[in-house]
Formats: sequence, C-alpha cells, structure tokens
Amino acid sequence: MKSLQAALTILFPIAIVLLIGAAALLAAGHDPVAVYADLMTEAFGGTRRIAASLSAATPLIFTGLAAAVAFRVGVFTVGAEGSLYVGALMAAWLGFTLTGLNGWLLAPLCLLAGTVAGTLWMLPPGLMKARLGIDEIVTTLMLNFIAIGLTTWLVNGPLLAPGAANSSTPQVVETARLTRLMPPSTLTTGFLIALALLFAYAFWQRRRVGGYETLIGGLAPRFAGASGIDMPGLMLRMLLLSGAIAGLGGALQVLGPIGRFVAGFSTGYGFTGIAVAILARGNPFGILIGAVLFGGLSTAGATIQLFSDVPIEIVNILQGLIMIFAVADFGLRGWFARRAGRQAANGGATP
Amino acid sequence: MITEILFSALVMTTPLVLASLGGLIHRSSGIVNVGLDGMMLLGALVALILASGGNWAVALVGAALSAGVAGWLMSLGITRLSANEIIVGLGLNIAIAGAVRFYLKAAYGSSGNLRLPDVSRLPKIDLPLPGPFGAVLSGHSVLTWIAWALVPLTAWVLTRTALGLRLRACGTSAVSSAAIGLHPKRMREGAGFVAGALSGLAGAYLSIGVVGLFNEGITGGRGFIALAAFYFGANRPWATAACALLFGIFDAVQIRLQGRGFPAELIQTLPYIMVCVVLLLLGLAARRRAEGKAASHG
Amino acid sequence: MSEMKQADAARGPRLGGQGLSKSFGPLMANDRIDFVARRGTIHAIVGGNGAGKSTLMNILQGLLTPDAGTVLVNGAPVAFRSPNDAIRAGIGMVHQEFTLIPGLTLLENLILGAEPRRGLGAIDRQAAEARAAALAELAGVRIDWSLTEEDAPVHMRQAVEILRLIYRGADVLILDEPTAVLAPPQIRELLALMRNLREKGNTILFISHKLDEVLAVADEVTVLRSGRVVVSRPAEGLDKAELARLMTGEPVEAPTAKPALPGAAVLELDRIGAGGEGAVAFQDFSLTLRAGEIVGIAGVAGNGQDEIVGLVSGMMPAARGAIRLAGQDITRHSTRERRALGLAYLSPDRKKEGLCLDASIADNLIASHQHKPRFAAQGFLKPRAIADFAAERVAAFEIKCASPRQPVRALSGGNQQKVAMARELYDNPRVLLACQPTRGVDIRGIAAIHEEILGFRDSGGAVLLISEELEELVQLSDRIVTIYSGRITGEFPRGGAGMERIGRTMLGEVAA
Repeated sequence: MKSLQAALTILFPIAIVLLIGAAALLAAGHDPVAVYADLMTEAFGGTRRIAASLSAATPLIFTGLAAAVAFRVGVFTVGAEGSLYVGALMAAWLGFTLTGLNGWLLAPLCLLAGTVAGTLWMLPPGLMKARLGIDEIVTTLMLNFIAIGLTTWLVNGPLLAPGAANSSTPQVVETARLTRLMPPSTLTTGFLIALALLFAYAFWQRRRVGGYETLIGGLAPRFAGASGIDMPGLMLRMLLLSGAIAGLGGALQVLGPIGRFVAGFSTGYGFTGIAVAILARGNPFGILIGAVLFGGLSTAGATIQLFSDVPIEIVNILQGLIMIFAVADFGLRGWFARRAGRQAANGGATP
Repeated sequence: MITEILFSALVMTTPLVLASLGGLIHRSSGIVNVGLDGMMLLGALVALILASGGNWAVALVGAALSAGVAGWLMSLGITRLSANEIIVGLGLNIAIAGAVRFYLKAAYGSSGNLRLPDVSRLPKIDLPLPGPFGAVLSGHSVLTWIAWALVPLTAWVLTRTALGLRLRACGTSAVSSAAIGLHPKRMREGAGFVAGALSGLAGAYLSIGVVGLFNEGITGGRGFIALAAFYFGANRPWATAACALLFGIFDAVQIRLQGRGFPAELIQTLPYIMVCVVLLLLGLAARRRAEGKAASHG
Repeated sequence: MSEMKQADAARGPRLGGQGLSKSFGPLMANDRIDFVARRGTIHAIVGGNGAGKSTLMNILQGLLTPDAGTVLVNGAPVAFRSPNDAIRAGIGMVHQEFTLIPGLTLLENLILGAEPRRGLGAIDRQAAEARAAALAELAGVRIDWSLTEEDAPVHMRQAVEILRLIYRGADVLILDEPTAVLAPPQIRELLALMRNLREKGNTILFISHKLDEVLAVADEVTVLRSGRVVVSRPAEGLDKAELARLMTGEPVEAPTAKPALPGAAVLELDRIGAGGEGAVAFQDFSLTLRAGEIVGIAGVAGNGQDEIVGLVSGMMPAARGAIRLAGQDITRHSTRERRALGLAYLSPDRKKEGLCLDASIADNLIASHQHKPRFAAQGFLKPRAIADFAAERVAAFEIKCASPRQPVRALSGGNQQKVAMARELYDNPRVLLACQPTRGVDIRGIAAIHEEILGFRDSGGAVLLISEELEELVQLSDRIVTIYSGRITGEFPRGGAGMERIGRTMLGEVAA
C-alpha cells in the first residue's frame, strides 16, 4: 500500500512529463518512442554508458541530498548551487596551491576545505532564518548568483591559470585526483562517497535521535517546539549540513572528473538536485534513482547530439517539467489519505 | 561620458522596469514569480521571429501573448495543483530554456542562436531636446517610454481602482477574500498572465530593441535582477522602478568599466547582495519593533 | 424587497429554524431546534461550549445542511446550498476571527468586493466615504476610515466587520461571541451599536455565554444545552441566576474527586510579567501551585491565559519576575530544560502543537522523551524499546487504534488527546500544564481524560488547569483562580462558590 503510493506519486508526474515531451517531439517531426528508446540505450545500454551515467549522477546525488536534508526540517533552501561552487573553488585552490603535499594528505584536505566552504556559505541565510525568521528561499537564491559571480571573478583574475584563455584555475595536483573506477569513464571514487553518504543518511533518518527530531520538526514545527526541540537551532544546523554536502559535492567534481575549477562547470546541478529531492520525497533510495535518471538523461543527450539531428534539448524540457510536476499535487495524496482514513475507520478506530 | 552612461543606463533599465512591474503585480496578488527570466527568454525569441515578418507591433503583441500564457500556466500550477511557487518558477526557467533551444534546433537547425533577415526593429523616438537632455533622453525605443508610462499606470490601478483593491486583498488574504465572494485563484492566474506579458515585452526589447538577434543567453539573468527590484521596491511601483534604474546604472557602468581592470562579475552581483542586505535590515527592524513593543508593555 | 420590509409589520419573523437537526457520527450536535428571530430585535442564542451553537450558525449560514428540519426566512422554509444563498437572503455573520484584510484601510475593507465606481473601474472615493460616514452615523460609532487594518483598534475593526455586512445588503447580523476580544468600555460601545442597528430595523442574532450582556441587550433568548433548545422566550423577566441555571442544567457535583492533599510548592510564578503583542498587559502575576492539587484558571479568552502558558512552558520569554519549578529558578530555561525538570504540557491546539498528526502514534508518544535512556543511547534510537513502550501506553490509556504505527491523524479527537496525555504523563512529571484538555472531545473521552487528570493529582502531581469550560474547572479544580485583564480577581476553594459568582469575577468584579 505504502510502496504503491510512493511509486505512483513518483511515476505519475514522470508519465505526464514524458507525454508532454512526446507531443513536442511529434510536433517537430520525430518519433517520440524512438527518441526515448535512444535515450535509454545511450544512458544505460552497456557498462561504459552506465558508468558515464553514474558519473553524471554523482553531483546530483550530493545536491539532491543537500536539498533533502534541509527540506526534511522545513527549510526550503535553493542554495545548493552556491555551496557547490564555493566548495569546488576552495578545493581547486588548495589542490593547485599546496603542490608540495602528499596526495594522500592533499585530497582529504581539499575535500574538507570544500565542505567547510559550502557550510560557511549557508551560514548567513541560516542565521537570518534562525534568528530573524527571514525567508531562506530568496536569500539562498540570491547567494547562488553571488557565488557564481564571485567564483567567476576569482578564476578570471586572481586565480586564472597562467596562459589559459578560458575562465579556469590551473590543474589540481595529479596525486590529489580521485581514482577512476572504470577508465576511460569519468566515474571516480566520488560516486562511492556519494553512495556511502546516502546509506549514512538512510540510517540517520530512521535510527538517530536527530533523524527523529527533524522528522517531527518538519511535519509539525510548533509541536516540535512545544516538545522541547530547539527549532531555530535545528533549522540552522540542517541548512549548514545542506551546505556541507553540496560543498563536498563540488570539491569531488573538482578532484574527480574536471581536475580544476572551471567557471560554469555546474549545469544547474543545484537546481536539478531540488527536482531530485522533491521527486524522491526525501527518500534516500529515491534520491539515488532520481539522480541516476537525470544524470543518464543528460549524458545520453550529450552523446546523441554528436551523431543525430534529434533535437536533444528535449532533455532540458523534461528536466524543467519534472521539477514543476514533482511539486504539483494531483490529488493523489488526498486520495490515499481518504483511503487510509476509511481503513482506519474499518479497523475500529472510531471514538 | 556621463550622458552616454545615463543613456545606456536607460536602455538597460527598460527590460528591468517591465519585468519587475510584472513581478510586482504578480506578487501583489500573492505569488512570488521566479520564472520571469524564462518568460523574458520566450518573449525575446517570439518577438524576433515575428519581427522578421516585418512588423514590430505584431512582434510585441506576440511576445506579450506567448509569455503571458506561460505566466498563466505557471500560475495554474500554483493555484490549482498547489505546487510550490519557487520550484515551479525555477522549473519553468529550465523548461523554457530547453524549449527555446529545442525549437531553434528543430525549426532552424541552429544551436542557441538565431539571426533572421528583415527584422523590423523597434522604432526609436528622437526628441529635440537641448544638450545633455537630448543626449540622454532622445533616441530611445517606444518600449522604453511605454515601460516608464506603465509605472504610474500600475500605481494608479493598484491603489485607485476596484481591480487593484481586489488584487491586493487576494494577495494579502486569500481566505478572507474568498469569504466575501472574490476569486483569489483567478486573480492570481490573471496577474500571472500580466507578469508573463510584461516579461515577454522585456524580452522583446532585448531581441528586437537592442541587438536585433537572439541567443539563449540574451536575458543575462535579468529576470532575477527584476526579482531583486520588486523585492527591493516592496510592492510600490515607483520604488520598484527606481531600483530597476539603479540596477540599470550598475549595468551601464559595469559595461563601461569592463576591460579596464574592474571586476565586472563582482559588480553584477551587487543587486543580489543588496536584496540580502535589505531582507536583513527589514528583519532587524521587525525584531526591534517587537522588542520595543515588549519593552513598552513591561 | 425593501418595500416589503416597510410594509411588513414590525417584529414579524425574519429568521428561524424548525426542527433543525444535525448529527456528526454518534454526536447529536443539533437536536430538533426551533426558534424564531423577529425583525428588528436582538435575539440571543446562549449556551456553553458543545451546546450546539456553532453547528446552528453554520446551518443558518448555508455552510452545513441539516439532516432534518428547515431554515425559515421571513417565515417561509428555504434550503441554503451555499453561503451565497444565505447572503442573498440578507444574512451575514461576524466570526470570532476577524476577516478584515491587513494592509488595506478600513474604508477599503468596507467597500471591498462592492466598490462604488467611476469610469475605467476607478473607485469613486467620495461616494465610498459618504457611504461609510452614513453607516457610521447609523450605527452611532466613530470610525477613522483611513486607518489600516493593523493600526485600527480592535473595537473599530469589529465595528467595520459589522457595518460591512450592512454595506453588502445584510439586515440579519449573526454575531459570534463579539465581546470576547473587547475591554469593558468597548463592550458598552458595542452593545450601544447593536441597539442602534436594531432601531434601524436590523435583526441581530447574538451568540454569547456572557449573561450580563445578554440580559442587557437581548429582546428574546434561546438557550441551548447539549444540542437542544432548553427554552426560547422573551428576555424580559429573566434574571441572571435563572439564565445560568438554564444554561448549565442542574449543578453537577464532581463525583470522583477525593479531597486534595496538597504538599510542597512545586511551581511558583513570582511577580512575572510578559511583553508581547497581546492587548492585555500581563505583569506582576504571582501564583503558587503545590504538589497534589489542581489549580484551575478561569477567565474569558484573551485575559492572560496565553501568557501563562507561554511563560510557564518557556515558549515566551519573561520580561520580569521569576518562575521556580521544584525550587529551581527556571525563568531563563528553555522548554527542553523545563521538561527535564518535570514540566509536562498539554497544548490547547492539539492539531498543531499538541501532536504531530502525520507521524505515527509511537513517534508521538516518545516526543520530548526521545533522549531518555529508555529510548536512545548515544544518539541512537532503540526501535524495539520504543515499540514496546508504545504498545504499553496504548494499552494503559485504552487508545483505540489498529497499530501504534498508524498515523495519529487516523484517530478520533478523544483518542488523539489520549495519545497526548499518555505522552505527557509518562516519567512522573511534577507539574502538568493542561490547557483546554477536552476541547473537541466527545463525552466518553472527556470522562476518561478527567479521570487521568485526577489520578495524576492523587499520585502527587500538580496540575495547572486552564479551560474555557467553567463546568470542567469547577469539577476538577481544588482551587479556582479567576483572571481578568492579566490580573487575579478572585480565588475560590473547591465548592467555595457557585458558577455564577465565579463567572462574575471572571468579568472583572473583584471578589471580596
């Protein structure tokens, strides 16, 4: 019953979005079934393609998880993108500056620095939310643009690689780079870290006191406050955790597939992460599935573009629409609630 | 030098005024519209395509209508499917950007850019003003003047007409408004259309007013600057327009200073920083008020 | 219509009900209700909580359809399908929660939805001001129409709520406890306004449980008790004692309460004061609660109850004074620290503050205890122990549910409240702060909850009971303290005074 509900609430919006996408493809004179089939094959047909999709999914697991931990306690951050950027830049900076350091030391140091940077980036909106009740949505959205502007300026000026024309830092020291799991694919140990984090989150959610407190804090904040839970403090901590996760994700991109910080390296990972988190309704397994789905779509889109004239931008449309329809309420929840209510009544829960 | 900067500031301000007024109207009805940027992009593309037929007026109407429908659909998602307004807005931006690229590829086989022959540009109005006034005010497109005319018009509609009163009522309290027979959902949907239409005009100004071509980065995030402007203006049309002007001046100055060692990227973040600072000051003021009240009771 | 009104003999029937019945499950909220409110009169509907007043009002407004019986408009049966039908019949209601819109001026609030216009949809401000002034004069009140809703004093906002109905064409005004939020001089002003409107031919349905006010303005009185009409008669010749007797029925003696054996003081409020936004300046409030006693706080809503709850629970900071719990100064303690010292809190807002409806029964049962060694070690929850505990509490408190994993939302109101009780009484708290413990609970549930509260007292617990149900207070409390405008106006031992006397001190009369 419960899993049916979960499956339906996830599959229903996806189905609607696929239908709309199909209509667009038809209008453009393409066979939607063929295009979707191509997408699936390019994303998941064969080990190498799966590896590419998982590599693309890695940053989305981080941003999706970053969104989910904050949403869980009712903090509606859209700031993962900003934390991702500052985390990535910080990791890159240490990675090409501390060249004398041993790789085994440097890599964790870079990751830690990225995590800290991402955390600190969420401190101002977190304090504003916790102390003054200032709406976190707008502040975190604004901080994204500020992070992008700031990092772009840094890599165009002070941190620009000598001789480089484009906006990027020098390469990170080779020894600090993450191990590739299946060369030549860009899948690195970063994906394993993402998986470990998801498992940790799944466990924390169900078995830690903090998981319990965030659950009721998100569902019923006033109740949580009356029960002695310090809601402003909890919101601040979860927003900082969200920043930490996103910052780590950015650092892993730098030490992993990219090898340096490039302006605009994120193709909206932070925003796609929101879609992933909402679609998954905070469920860790759902986040994994969602991230792999979106990651697969984007790699498949990128490769199909190389050898066919299919307007593969359809992938972007699908991403945006999934975001919209994931938060839409089609009355399914109400329907399930009514059913549950009837069952409870039959089960003898009458006064 | 100064007159040139002011002239280009007015150019940069025009799309901001249009879109931020749209955002202001939508917000007055109760919805924070984060999708202005996407609707601007849509308007820019539609305007260019229609203007290539040779009539800029048709292009403007088409841009306003298409983006207006996008704004209306966005509002429907929020009012009828109770979707979160911010997520829907962000999703709309992504979806429209995708749709625009999809269309360019499918219809023109181009990736992200569109250059069309015989584009009917927005006509410019020359004013016989003396000296610096002429240099700043003369030669702007019709849409610039329309944008500024919309400021008092919006103020008048919001404060002096029955429609504006109802819009504000629905925006402040949907429940109370519905209780006396108003239709807050329809009000929000209508305001969504207006917000979209004005953003569409803003986009049209960029494509057929300024450059005469289209590319997928044409809005340059101006939809978000417009968001900053109407947040800053706190639902007051003149204050909102003043903020748009301020940001327009930033933009003009920043373009001038580019290549002279000034960090353009940093200047571009100023509007966003200002929004955060304003929110912080408002929050501090609210707390001081609450504490003041407590003290006077104690 | 208006000519008809003129022609119609004054005091003809305007709004009434005939055999109106409505039940919710086993509860008969309205049971064959008959009444007639005559044109140009003030008709009071009197009754305690749960007497069926709000159900009746909802029927008269078209929000509920009666199971049987009909609404009578001008003596003829009608069937309201929606509130719009009632509005078209000239019936308007002012609810306890005001519906004026912040940010708009009082004038804008008055005309909203029916604005006088000039061309182009512009509001005809002069016409609007003229209508507003005429309405204020008709009602005999002074209103500064240019104030915004948030700046206007509460009695002015209320007057606008009422005048707005007339502006929109209503001549039957249903006022639901309109004086609950007002101070005495404002109450006198409101009663004068009601009389003025009556003189102009309007009909007023005055819902109240304040007997003085009812007797001061009402022409006729309908008394409801347990969903039935006890009596419907002219107000003339009724006195307060008689009315109180009709409302409450025969005085109920608390059957189960043993005499209290109070021990040492466990909760002391020592000249505390709160800031905040309430209309009531709450300061210099002192109260001592001893182990093994129930102290009831009686007062009209908004006279300091929220401040007491906020200050004791720790959700509102104290501006001055001290609070001691078991001898420790807890004035600056957080809610969590207070709970750790033995404070339990039963919230009046069960749905938002007392429970987490979407979480399971088990999750609700361990809230505020989640850190205790029985349920967690080093931050790791013990699922088995929690499940055992939940099963144990469900059995002990006879919570009717399919499983402790069910969401609380699926339970009935009484069983939900039992979940909250079972949680709050766990682990031997010293003090139970119980607010409206039986609000929205059916009769059987009420009995069970009362028994728990008394049992807790008998085992040495201290209870601070805040309730709008005077009957409940009288039944449970070993001492009743009446508050008015943030001050204590009287204190009565169990059986020390009748409800009527307590009621008077609740209204500001200081007990000798």
